[in-house]
Amino acid sequence: MGVRKIDLTLCTGCGICIDECPMDVFRMDDEKNKAFIKYLRDCQSCFICERECPEDAIYCLPTFERRIPDPW
Amino acid sequence: MAEEVIRGIDVLVIGGGLAGTLAAIKAREAGARQVVQVDKAYAGRSGCSACAAGVISSFLPEEDDREQMFTDMVVRAHHLCDQERLQDHFDDFPARLKEMEDFGVGFERLPDGKLQRHPGRGTGKFVMFHGGLQMMGAMRKAALGAGVKIVDKTMVTGLLTRDGAVSGAVGFHIPSGEFRVFGAKAVVVAAGRCWNKGRNPGNRSATGDGLALAYQVGAVLEGLDQARWNNMAARYDIGPGMNMYVGSGGFFVNSKGERFMERYHPELKDRAPLNILTPSFAMEARRGNAPIFLDLTHLEPETVLRFKRVIPMPMMMFERVGVVAGDRFTRKVEWEPAAIQCDGGLKVNRRYESTVPGLFACGDAIPPGSGEGQRALPGAMTSGGRAGRFAAEYVRECGEPELEREQIQVLREETFAPLNRNDGIEPDQVLLSLQEAISPYDVLILRREERMERALRTVEEIWRDQAPLLCAYDPHYLRMAHEARYMTLVGMLQLRSALFRKESRENLREDYPLIDNESWLKWVTVRREGDGVKVGAEMLPVERYPVKPKPDKTLHPLWQRVEGMGIVKIEQGEVRWA
Repeated sequence: MGVRKIDLTLCTGCGICIDECPMDVFRMDDEKNKAFIKYLRDCQSCFICERECPEDAIYCLPTFERRIPDPW
Repeated sequence: MAEEVIRGIDVLVIGGGLAGTLAAIKAREAGARQVVQVDKAYAGRSGCSACAAGVISSFLPEEDDREQMFTDMVVRAHHLCDQERLQDHFDDFPARLKEMEDFGVGFERLPDGKLQRHPGRGTGKFVMFHGGLQMMGAMRKAALGAGVKIVDKTMVTGLLTRDGAVSGAVGFHIPSGEFRVFGAKAVVVAAGRCWNKGRNPGNRSATGDGLALAYQVGAVLEGLDQARWNNMAARYDIGPGMNMYVGSGGFFVNSKGERFMERYHPELKDRAPLNILTPSFAMEARRGNAPIFLDLTHLEPETVLRFKRVIPMPMMMFERVGVVAGDRFTRKVEWEPAAIQCDGGLKVNRRYESTVPGLFACGDAIPPGSGEGQRALPGAMTSGGRAGRFAAEYVRECGEPELEREQIQVLREETFAPLNRNDGIEPDQVLLSLQEAISPYDVLILRREERMERALRTVEEIWRDQAPLLCAYDPHYLRMAHEARYMTLVGMLQLRSALFRKESRENLREDYPLIDNESWLKWVTVRREGDGVKVGAEMLPVERYPVKPKPDKTLHPLWQRVEGMGIVKIEQGEVRWA
């Protein structure tokens, strides 16, 4: 599943995950001032968001978001 | 869409990995006033560097025999290697390593203060750092400290030229969809690796952008026939670390539980270099012995705890799925080639300047031709440093480039075209078609003309029929659409180049099993000619090189090995499977 969830009770809307995500997965809900997952399918399970979140609000699992053909 | 024009740039660096960051820093140090580093995501986080495992193949002059290491690298590359650039690499490596530590990159040191060495794949010796994230965080800070202007979230979609020389680039800002024009005296391409979004977190943003951009403006690309596959966990989305695993006693077993690498490379076994390891996997698959597993369950707790320091990200991921519990690996992990990756790049001279004046390249955007020492992180360090410095020297003689409105307008239309196709093809569809065509192990790992021809026809169809119909719902999908286009183009050029080389060398051909030093001490080159592709070959200047190949033809050592194992026979100059 890659990035599974953002705990909205912990998210402070700092925007670090949005800035640093290499795959452009997150966007900001300006009204609520919380980040949300917008493009889950492009998540590459790099865990950068989870590592960089200062509030420990993000949880990831290293499973594939899209089918990648096997070489054999 | 709005438009922002940034003029007055001396050196524009495309790419936010280690090579690009060092190029930007070194360009500033060499006197370039305005240095802009542009990245489609976030410099210091996108590309391969931030997800790198914590090892760098290293040369430490006080500990290592330079001449021996140099020769090993050339021989391991089967002489397909620019030995002059490799000498420069050895000259520069120790200084770059020291600078990185000064910038705040954390390295593992022993109590006596020496850098801790670690074996990895091949005969190289590694130094260990605290993961790509820590490294690139420090490097981004260093770039900002050096006065580099970083432009994030901006995807470059075209290079500008004026009178045959590069004059800047255009692209779009992903959050806003705004069109951006960069007027620059020199451009450094540091976004070259193409991993085709395979198994390898951190590399799914490496989509061959720099190669495609350079090709479009007529730059000669070189070595696209060369491919070296990393291997990754097959069923978990977990990134690099194999050097640490096999260097610490990890080993591979096939579906029968056999430690097969002992037979394919009796000396190094599971630590065999990638150009032996991955074809050995493929041969096991060919024999019906897939899947392959990596076994780390026997490792001692202190080894596992060291992994947690040096490759923290993959270890955290393994813990999340229960493969690691505390200080132990709990089970074997299925392992596969990561994806089809392309090792070629822009043909550059010793100053890292391409065949297009003002266009420089470094890191994985140059060919593998500088030997193993110049691939990946070590290569990024030394080639990045030099490319930045030489680009800064180049711009001293340049006036402010004029920008041609008409050229910009054409590129602008091409950039946004997918946004206007509501009924077009999704980028994912193109990606999957491409992966299905080139991923099977018997296309580019174990090569034969008919199979590569078939794959090429499919990729050409994707390029002709699907790529022009790519659609994007918003600027995020616009990035994905351009990435799909770049990967398709690079895949096509890769197959054309691979078909051209009629021998085995870095890669194995069943129909040409010999390493042919009489005819093929050559680079395969590819460039755009009108709307067509021009493939050719250029001799390596081996007469100038210190390590000379024997001018003979010999059966590739891996074919020789597996012939001895009875897996294949060589009949009428071709490999037949037993």
